[in-house]
Amino acid sequence: MSGGKTLAIAGVFLVLGVMSLIGGESDSPLKPIVITPELREEYPLKSHHAKLSLECVFCHEGQGDNPREFKMIGDEGCLSCHQSKEHVAERLAFMDKLHVNPHNSIHDGPTLYCDECHNEHKPSTNMCAECHEHDIDLWMGPTP
Amino acid sequence: MKKRILIAAGAIGVFLGLFGSWVTYEGLHRTSDDKFCIVCHEMAPMVSAYHTDPHGGQGESGFKASCVSCHMPHDNVFNYIYTKAKNGVVEGAIHFFGDVDAIDWHANRKNRDKFVYDDGCISCHSNYKTNAFISPKGQQMHTHYDALLGTDKQIGCASCHVEVGHKGLRTVLNYYKPEYEYYEGKFDAEKEAVEKGLIEAFKKGE
Repeated sequence: MSGGKTLAIAGVFLVLGVMSLIGGESDSPLKPIVITPELREEYPLKSHHAKLSLECVFCHEGQGDNPREFKMIGDEGCLSCHQSKEHVAERLAFMDKLHVNPHNSIHDGPTLYCDECHNEHKPSTNMCAECHEHDIDLWMGPTP
Repeated sequence: MKKRILIAAGAIGVFLGLFGSWVTYEGLHRTSDDKFCIVCHEMAPMVSAYHTDPHGGQGESGFKASCVSCHMPHDNVFNYIYTKAKNGVVEGAIHFFGDVDAIDWHANRKNRDKFVYDDGCISCHSNYKTNAFISPKGQQMHTHYDALLGTDKQIGCASCHVEVGHKGLRTVLNYYKPEYEYYEGKFDAEKEAVEKGLIEAFKKGE
């Protein structure tokens, strides 16, 4: 009987040990991403971000180490540095006077998704231009 | 007799040394704030934006950094005095003889890493690497900043902290010089309010 108990306990420890090994493997540090010229061409950074020598994983946090499998980072990702939609609207407060602040638009307020206009790895667009294509050049510069 | 002369000479030397230090200290100290700098330096919008910033006395503590805290090198006293003297001459010359209207302030903001000195920031924010009030992303970026120090990719505090010290700088600059033609002449009231605010602030001795 006591031999059976010992065996059971040993079995439990064995199972736990194997589990911890599997768990340990998934926690192993990611391979550092080497940004090859090809990768840079495929996923170029905007000049203001490139100047800061940002690394892929600063934005694509917890998304593994294969850039081709990275996902969009969403508003939360952008705002982890850029603070809040209200904050970026405040930075363009002078445009409020003529109701043309894109971050506090007369139609939507400070609620738009960042990627309605801003892209990182491809050219940005200007959603305002969908209706105001003839006016926006007067109000604002190209979307960064 | 010789001893007395030596003692007298020593005393005079100490006096002159202390006096010289005092004059230098007072001279540097009294020429370090916005009230002095704005006399020659074209910077009304910058000072106005600074007055609404935590660094201009609007923070919880009411602490006020002076212009030179951030805009002069603090690595050694000779470099500090040299840079200050050079700036004084250049700014004075531009103020009296240059074409002030031709200054492109918006474009100059891109050079902020050259006129904001990190050693000034860090002399107050000495715990930027360990301060628990900084968000995890902020801490990650500060580690990144440290890793780039001394490399050809080195960045400065102002690389990311774009309007630091001057809250709403881009907006106030637009009151003076609109970035786009459409706004031309539309901010006269705002500009007037800024000018009035500056006069009042200086009257109050802020």
